[in-house]
Amino acid sequence: MNADILSPDDQTGVAEAVRDAYEASRAVYPLGGGTAQDYGVAPTRPGLTLELSGVAKIVDYTPRDMTILVEAGVRMVDLAATLSAEGQHLPIDVPRASEATLGGVVATNWSGPRRYGHGTIRDYVIGIHAVDGRGVPFKGGGRVVKNVAGYDFCKLMCGSLGTLGVITRLALKVTPQPEQSAAIIGMCGDLAAAELILSRLIHLPAPPVAIDLLVGSAWDLGSIIRNPQSEIRNPSVALVVRVEGTEPEVAWLAEQVQYELWSGGGSAVSRLEPRDAEALWTRQIEFADRGAGEAADNSPLVVKIAVPSSAVAQMIAELVAFDPDCAIAAQAGNGIIFARFSQFGHADLTNVLVGKLRPAAVQLGGSLVIVSSRLEGLTPHLIWGGRTEATVLAERIKQQFDPRNILNPGRFVYD
Amino acid sequence: MTTAHVLNISDELRRLLGSDRVLDAHSDLAVYECDAFVIEKHCPSMAVFPQSTGEVSAIVKLCNEAGVPFVPRGAGTSLAGGGLPVGGGVMVVLTRMREILAVNLRDRYAVVEPGVVNAALNRRLADTGFHYAPDPSSQGACTIGGNVATNAGGPHTLKYGVTVNHVLGLEIVTADGDVVQIGGPAEDSLGPGLVGTIVGGEGTLGIVTKICVRLTRNPQGVRTMLGVFDSVDDATQAISGIIGAGIIPAALEMMDQGILVAVEAAFHFGFPLDAEAILLIEVDGLEVGLDAQRDRVAEICRQNGAREVRFAADAKERLQLWKCRKQAFGAIGRLSPSYCTQDGVVPRTKLPHILQRIRAIGAKYDIKIVNVFHAGDGNLHPILLFDERNAGEIQRVLAASGEILDECLECGGSVTGEHGIGLEKLSFMNRMFTADDLDVMARLRDALNPGGLLSPGKLLPTAGACGMEQVHPGRRAPL
Repeated sequence: MNADILSPDDQTGVAEAVRDAYEASRAVYPLGGGTAQDYGVAPTRPGLTLELSGVAKIVDYTPRDMTILVEAGVRMVDLAATLSAEGQHLPIDVPRASEATLGGVVATNWSGPRRYGHGTIRDYVIGIHAVDGRGVPFKGGGRVVKNVAGYDFCKLMCGSLGTLGVITRLALKVTPQPEQSAAIIGMCGDLAAAELILSRLIHLPAPPVAIDLLVGSAWDLGSIIRNPQSEIRNPSVALVVRVEGTEPEVAWLAEQVQYELWSGGGSAVSRLEPRDAEALWTRQIEFADRGAGEAADNSPLVVKIAVPSSAVAQMIAELVAFDPDCAIAAQAGNGIIFARFSQFGHADLTNVLVGKLRPAAVQLGGSLVIVSSRLEGLTPHLIWGGRTEATVLAERIKQQFDPRNILNPGRFVYD
Repeated sequence: MTTAHVLNISDELRRLLGSDRVLDAHSDLAVYECDAFVIEKHCPSMAVFPQSTGEVSAIVKLCNEAGVPFVPRGAGTSLAGGGLPVGGGVMVVLTRMREILAVNLRDRYAVVEPGVVNAALNRRLADTGFHYAPDPSSQGACTIGGNVATNAGGPHTLKYGVTVNHVLGLEIVTADGDVVQIGGPAEDSLGPGLVGTIVGGEGTLGIVTKICVRLTRNPQGVRTMLGVFDSVDDATQAISGIIGAGIIPAALEMMDQGILVAVEAAFHFGFPLDAEAILLIEVDGLEVGLDAQRDRVAEICRQNGAREVRFAADAKERLQLWKCRKQAFGAIGRLSPSYCTQDGVVPRTKLPHILQRIRAIGAKYDIKIVNVFHAGDGNLHPILLFDERNAGEIQRVLAASGEILDECLECGGSVTGEHGIGLEKLSFMNRMFTADDLDVMARLRDALNPGGLLSPGKLLPTAGACGMEQVHPGRRAPL
């Protein structure tokens, strides 16, 4: 359908392509690494695919300023390597980092497990260049970490799904890499026990960087638990807490976390061996894309649910009640749940997803979206839920930025 | 807008709010004709004091029906004229909406009304182990609604981020008077980042009526120290050295000799008056790593020529140091009758260069300039001292200010780090942004504020306007 592909190599090329498309009222589909093409509604209108892997230069990097200016098509893995060479990093974890581009991460507002300690991608974008739906290049922000001149397009474009502009260049604030990290695991008897521990972890004297609640037999955590004396009451509900800092900080905090897990009723509590911690960490990050194991689990439906942290356990209980073999990774400290169903029929979309799960999330002030699915015939309403007061405001912005509705038409809730 | 319109709406507003919450006598309104940016004065046609979202919505709808402009105002501490009613109209004063509606430690958030004073929220949170991180120097007076409008910063934003990094959700009354919920305690609301756009929108995209803020765990320990330097260059090199070593202090502030003299006269902390610059540095975190971190910072200061590094001995001494820093502006009255504060930003590595340039610019225009600023962020606050009775001096201050901000832009920086564009910096917008950038910004404003009645004349220049050049800079210090 999108047989036409253009691969410009700079912002001027992007602007020209969009301007031509604007004049012809032709749809434009920006494409980064292609790792999030399942997110939102797939294109139905014929149009032009604007492939951005050629717009991928590291424009300027001054490590002592702790800022970097790059083009949007840069792969996350390449960005990480550049920063790592100077002992710095962008602490945003995304699946398939060797393919995913920074522009795509910003457009999808994607953030991983370390959001508890490090925040989300919007906290790191300090400058942005993009091309609007008329082919007009525009920018916001700048190169400095504090800047309130003009409207903050850096924030607006986070999560805009390519519907407001084609992002071409980004300035980021970056941070020093931590000296050390450690992962602590503990099994929770059940979900209620998990909530009890979660409510204690928020009072730790320094926040961990990640608090993940892993649920489901797919995680198969038995093999990495090196604490056989301790009785494992339920291997399918586990808390994995990651801490970072200097060596003495990590040692101290890891002890504290183990104490909280143990005294909160957890079992088989231990600090993971570095190799096991690393292997599990990779699975945690890749989970949204492929599942809990090393290989893709072919889940028929993957959803992301956002609720207040205190409602995570209760929400997961509803998921498991419907599908006991559902695999779940929750960034529990932030209330973000990724669920990969083992079975999900078309009829369940109406009965379960629209009928029960989404209203439960919405009632808690949150949301439920379909991240990817093998089911046919998904509508924007099924994927995102209906319009809200807020998306109506977003639509008004869309009309101003993209008056002919050519940028990723149909992908988000607005027409 | 005609007088008849305003008179007409005045009766309806009285019916809505009662006479005691509508002011329209000129003598009552004089206090609302400016905020902390006292250079320009715009008197509102009336000021109203809603106590609920419903009242704000009703006021906005009445203004729309009558075609009368309206502007929200918090405590009036804006340094850029963000709260001024350009061309008159109805000022919606939000200081009577000052309830802390919820504090939820389990989910680490609080919900507040816009008129809650920044420090009042932290007083409420005392003993909970949590705090609200953004700490502008005016936090004893400024409101969180105003902090949201300007995306306010403060000394501790170096490590903890500015206001936008701590706002989870907003309830706004749109320019049409609709009430809209955006975001909230559940993260990752869908679609474009509206919360982060309205924060820092300077009240031109909606009137914020509730704010859901993230609460931050208090650090287990704090170490505060003072690095004393014989040269400004050495001090700025030390800043670069600390950041370059991968240390992110909770705060890293600089005061130069000019301001030290005034602060010392006011607070008698015992600052060495012959020092050219001091750095106020705070590291926080787990006790187990703090002494090592403090010692590392002290070592970097000494390597860069600090003649002395003093450690705050106890909590009392720390508070005293911070009082000197946060009330430094109040001490300037000892130096000159009027002053003009700038708010430029440069990349951190350009600090030595920009401070040399500021000195040179001061000499060129024969204007005394003192500095107290958020050094770790590269956020400068050069303070230009003058006497507004001297017309020639005023012109030189204007020229010097412009040259400093131009130099910030040359360095790849910004003309405002935390005070906002407001009215003050309108003329700099087209130096920082292209016509296309400004056009897209205008489109964003038109999307959410289509009639332009909400906070007109702010943030975006209108064709032909040249803002600051037309007016007198500075403010009179209390005599």
